[in-house]
Amino acid sequence: MSPRARLTAVAFAALTLACGDIAAPARNDFYEWRLEAPSPTGAGTDTISFHWPAEQLPVRIWVEDADSLPADVTRAIGIWRDGFLYGEYDATIVSDSATADVIVTLGVAPGPQLSAIRLRSALAPQCTGATDVSISEDHTQLLLPVRVYIDPSSAPGTPGLGECVALTVVHEIGHSIGIFNHSPNASDLMYFDPSVELPSERDRATAEVLYHVPSTLEVVRP
Amino acid sequence: MPRYALLLMLLFAGAAPRLRAQTEYHARLGAVGATDLLHDAIVSELTVRQSIAPMLAVGGSLPIGPKGYRANLEATFSSGGFHRNEAGSKIDIGTLRTGTLLLGLEGPLWQHFRWRAGLGAIRYFPTEKQGIFLAGGTTRFLAGGGIDYRYPVLPNWDLMTSARYDLHRFRTGTLEARGFSQSQGVSRVSLSIGLSRGIR
Repeated sequence: MSPRARLTAVAFAALTLACGDIAAPARNDFYEWRLEAPSPTGAGTDTISFHWPAEQLPVRIWVEDADSLPADVTRAIGIWRDGFLYGEYDATIVSDSATADVIVTLGVAPGPQLSAIRLRSALAPQCTGATDVSISEDHTQLLLPVRVYIDPSSAPGTPGLGECVALTVVHEIGHSIGIFNHSPNASDLMYFDPSVELPSERDRATAEVLYHVPSTLEVVRP
Repeated sequence: MPRYALLLMLLFAGAAPRLRAQTEYHARLGAVGATDLLHDAIVSELTVRQSIAPMLAVGGSLPIGPKGYRANLEATFSSGGFHRNEAGSKIDIGTLRTGTLLLGLEGPLWQHFRWRAGLGAIRYFPTEKQGIFLAGGTTRFLAGGGIDYRYPVLPNWDLMTSARYDLHRFRTGTLEARGFSQSQGVSRVSLSIGLSRGIR
C-alpha cells in the first residue's frame, strides 16, 4: 500500500469513527395519558396534558408517616425517576406539608372536592388508591397540591396487603407525575386495576412521551 | 526466577538516572468541549451534550529515537455539566466527569511545534447513577492527536501550549438496555497551557 493510500485509509477510518449517530428506539407503543374534561366553553371536551416543568424539579412530596408509606413513596419516586433518560422527573420527600407539591396520606379518600378531578382509583384486591388534581375552571392551571390517598382497605396483616400498598403507591405516583389516565392494557402498571409491580415498557414510553409534549397546565400554588 | 528479577532491578537501577534525565513531564490546565453524546427523537429531536469543562492534563514522555521522536503517556481529567437541548431550550441534567489515558508517539514539527498521536481510553464518571448513566459510567476506546507549542521560559522548563483532538464512540449500558443500537461518534477538542520539563 502506498503512503498516500495508507493516509487515505487512516483518514477514512477516522471519519467513520467520528461520524455516525446512535440509533434511538421508536416510542410508538404508548397509551392516552391526557385527561379529557368538559370544555369550559361548554362545547366539546378539553384534552389536558401535564408534566412537571424542569424548573419545578425536584417535585416536593410530603408523606404521612404511617406504616410503610414513606418507604413505599421513596421507592415509587425512584422507580419513576429511573424510567427517564434525560432527567425529566425527580422528586424529594419534604417534612413540611405546607410547602409540598404532592401530599400522600393513608386512609379513605374524602368525597371529591368541587374543584378537584378524581383520577379513578386503583382497585387491587386488598387496597385502593386515588389521586385528586385541582384544575382551574379555565383548564389552564394546576392548583397545588396534588393529593394522593392510599387506602389499605383490608385488616392489618392480611396476606398481600404490603405488596398491594406498594404497587398502588407506584400507580398513584404515576398519576402525580402526569399520567392522568389509565392504560387499557392489563399488563401495565397504570391499568385501572394493576397487577404488575413495576411500570411496563409501555408505561415508561408513555411517561417519556408526555414529558416531551407541551404541558397545557401551569403550576400554581393557591 | 529471583535471579532474573534481581538482574532486571540492577539494570533498571543503572538506567534510572539516565532515564530520569531524558524524561519529559508536564502539567497543563485548559478547557475541553465535545460534540453531542447522543441524538434522540421522543417527540421532537433532542440532543445531549457535555458543557465546555475545565480540564487538567498530566503526562510524560521518553525518547525512542535519534530524530526527536518520543513515546508519551498523557492523562486528562475534566468535570462539568451536561445538558439536553430540545426545541431550543437547554436543560441541565447533571454533572459528568471524564478521565482519559492516551499512549502515543510525538515528534518535531516545526521550530517550537511538535505533533502527537495516540490511542487509549476515555472513562465517563457520572456523579449520579441516573438517566443515561443509570447503570453507571462507561469506558470507551479513544484515538487522539494534537499539536504542542513549547517555548523555553526557564533553564529546564518550557511553557507548553497544546491543542488536542480526540474521538470515540459513545454508548452506555443503560442506552443498550433501553433499545438504542450502534453508538454515537463524539469528537472532543481541548486547549490548554502549562509547564513542561523541557526537551533539550
